[in-house]
Amino acid sequence: MEALVIDRKQSKLRVAPEWADVCFTCGTCAGGCPITGVDGLDPRKAVRMAALGLDQELVDSRFPWICTLCGRCEYACPQGVEILKMLRKARSLRERDKVPGPIHKGVVMDLERGNNLGIPKEDFLFLLADVAKEMDEDEGFPGFYVPVDKKGANILVTINSKEPFGEPDDMKFWWRIFYAAKEDWTVPSENWEGVNWGLFSGDDESMKTLVGRIVEHLERLECKTLLLPE
Amino acid sequence: MHDPCNYGRKSFKTFGDGYFEEPRWITQQCCENYVEMYPTKMNNFCCGAGGGAWAMPYEQERIVYGREKARQIKDTGAKMVVAPCHNCRDQIMKSLNKEYDLGIEVKYLWELVSDSLIVEPWNEEEIKKANELRDAQYERDDVDLDKEW
Repeated sequence: MEALVIDRKQSKLRVAPEWADVCFTCGTCAGGCPITGVDGLDPRKAVRMAALGLDQELVDSRFPWICTLCGRCEYACPQGVEILKMLRKARSLRERDKVPGPIHKGVVMDLERGNNLGIPKEDFLFLLADVAKEMDEDEGFPGFYVPVDKKGANILVTINSKEPFGEPDDMKFWWRIFYAAKEDWTVPSENWEGVNWGLFSGDDESMKTLVGRIVEHLERLECKTLLLPE
Repeated sequence: MHDPCNYGRKSFKTFGDGYFEEPRWITQQCCENYVEMYPTKMNNFCCGAGGGAWAMPYEQERIVYGREKARQIKDTGAKMVVAPCHNCRDQIMKSLNKEYDLGIEVKYLWELVSDSLIVEPWNEEEIKKANELRDAQYERDDVDLDKEW
C-alpha cells in the first residue's frame, strides 16, 4: 500500500492533521448522534477519516448525506472540533451529478426558473389569486388578496415551493394572520422561492446567488422585514 | 414544541442567537397545558429529516434517525406537537407519526396561531380599498380568474 501524505494543504476537507490530536476520540459526538452505526460510521470515525487522510473515502461515502447536519455533535464536542463544518464541506466536494436525490436539481431549477419546482410565473400568480378568492368570498376574510410586488410593503414574504405545488391551502395560515393583523406585506412575482437547497447540497456559489435575489427584492420593493417560509 | 436545528442550535452558532423562547411563548398563548420534551433547546434531537434528508433517497435511514425524536414526543404524552419548520413538520406528521404510532396532531407554529385567531372582518371602507388595489394589481399582472385553462 502506498503511504498517504497528510498535510493541511492537501486535505480536501481542509482538516489539519493536528485534529488527530485535538479530537480525544471520546465519542461524545457519536454517542448523541442518531445515525451512529449506520454504514459502520459515526461522527467520531468521520473525523478520524478526515484527519488521517481518507478525505476521498469520506466524500464518496453516504455518511455526509445520511447525516442531517443537525450540529448536535459539534455542539457537544468538548474540544471544539468543527464536525458539522467538515461534513458539509464533504457534501460540497461531491460531484454535482452525484448529489443524492433532487436537491441539486432543485438548485439548478431555482437558478433557471426562480423556484425549486419550476412553477411558471403565470400559474403562480393565478394560484395566489384563486386561493385568495376562497378566503375573500367563502371563509370570512372579505377584502383579502395577495399583494404582489407591492413597493414599500413592510414584510417581503417568500414561499416554500412545495406549498403552491402540492399544499396550496397551507399558504392560508400566514395569510389569515396578515389579514387579522392588517399587515402590509407582499410576495415577489418572480424568484419568490424561500427554500435554499444550496445550503444542503453544499453549493455556496448558488446559495449566494439565491440569497442575493432576496436582497434585491428587499431593495427594489423597499421592504423592511423579510419572512422566510418558517 | 420541537426545536428545529436551523432555528435553534445552528442559528445560535451562526448568529449568536437561537430562537428558543419565542416559539414557546407563542405556543403558550395558544395552548393551556404546555409540556417540554427532554432533552431540549441546544441539546434537542433533530427530527431526522434535516439537511435535505426529507427529499433524499434514504428513507429507511431517515426513519431510523427519527426514532429518538419519536421517543421524545411519545414521552411527553402531549396530544399535539408544534413544528416551526416545514421540513420537521413533514417528517413528524407524514413519517414518524405513522412509523412509530404516535397518534399525534402536528402543526406549524404559524398554523397554531392561525387556528387560534378570532378574526374580525374588515370594515366596508377597508374592503373597498383592498378591492381597488387588488383589481389594479390583477390588471397589471394580467391575472384573470375567469379565464379557461
